[in-house]
Amino acid sequence: MRHRRDRLRLALGVMAIGLIAVARAGAHHSFAPYETTLQIKLTGVVSDYKWANPHVYFEIDAPDATTGQTRHWLIECASTSILNRAGWKFNMLKPGDKVTIIASPLRNGEPAALLKAITLADGRKFSNGAAAGRATIE
Amino acid sequence: MKLRVIVAMLTAAAAAGGPVLAQTRPAARAALTGSWEIYPLRGEGFGSGVPPKTPVAAPKPVPEPPLRQPHLDQWRALQAQNAELTRKGLPPPSAGMACMPDGMPGMMQATFPMEILETPGQVTIIQEAYNQVRRIYLNAPAIAPEDAEPRYAGNSTGRWEGTTLVVQTVGLKESARFRNVPHSTRMRITERLRLINDEMLENQVTVEDPEFLTGPWTWSWMYKRWPGYKIEEYVCEDNRYFEDPALRYQRLRVN
Repeated sequence: MRHRRDRLRLALGVMAIGLIAVARAGAHHSFAPYETTLQIKLTGVVSDYKWANPHVYFEIDAPDATTGQTRHWLIECASTSILNRAGWKFNMLKPGDKVTIIASPLRNGEPAALLKAITLADGRKFSNGAAAGRATIE
Repeated sequence: MKLRVIVAMLTAAAAAGGPVLAQTRPAARAALTGSWEIYPLRGEGFGSGVPPKTPVAAPKPVPEPPLRQPHLDQWRALQAQNAELTRKGLPPPSAGMACMPDGMPGMMQATFPMEILETPGQVTIIQEAYNQVRRIYLNAPAIAPEDAEPRYAGNSTGRWEGTTLVVQTVGLKESARFRNVPHSTRMRITERLRLINDEMLENQVTVEDPEFLTGPWTWSWMYKRWPGYKIEEYVCEDNRYFEDPALRYQRLRVN
């Protein structure tokens, strides 16, 4: 049931992409390789966090919503200055931290996703800046 | 009596400081020094999020370049193809993807905030993205395009015309293409920077290129002052994007 719903959402997302204009993400590259109209929620443990430009990345191990099996994800964030302006701090994440994220996965099926929103273990929430787009699910 | 003394002191101070100041900028003009963000505001993470005190009309979008044929048809076809590939999730590689800076005039679209510094004889503009810097030498001899070393930021000279800073830029790398528009070594950019009030700065841009353009390509950008903002470092050290060898799109290195 859950699986069918996800597939429907994916199909709707693919249809919607033809209707939206994909703007340039920021200074560096396009976010078009991501399924920007599909958003998933993952709760997992951070295994790596690299605060650098052109983009900040972290990795998490999170159980798959359908199978329950743990999957390793690379999560793409904005540039350091965009994140600073959105309230982040360079040292606010570290390996071992439990986080909940909303993100748009890559269209090609590889385990990477564009962050939309993150909730830290202490409950603080942050966006990924305007270029990445807002979270549309909770 | 007391007021008269103060006025006399101020007059003397102005007389002492006035002529020195006038060499770089008219005394009546507010300084450009400080941080600026593009206007209209771009949303969270890009700028201050603080609208201007006085509402200001947004400049018109950058128009289509008046390219000569067959360049115009080629450019339109390229733009349409790039838009279609992007819609399919296969955005074509770009200079930005390869961590190359915008160069001129692209760096003045202020994707990220920029800092302007006025010092005697020079105006320096620092764009946060890619740590881009351009130096505008005031009242310096004009540079002939054929004598200008090709650079991303070009070679800029400027002069004050009343309260407008007029900047000429030549010597632009042919590989640095704003909006994919091709240009020759004879390309010239003229900017007219003018404060329209204390916090809004207008930049009227004119691009000329006798080889590629039928006439001037003109538009305006608007910047809003951002008091206290400190420009951040941007070194493109961890680029995980590459050109997919088969499909030739911007692809993320996941593992």
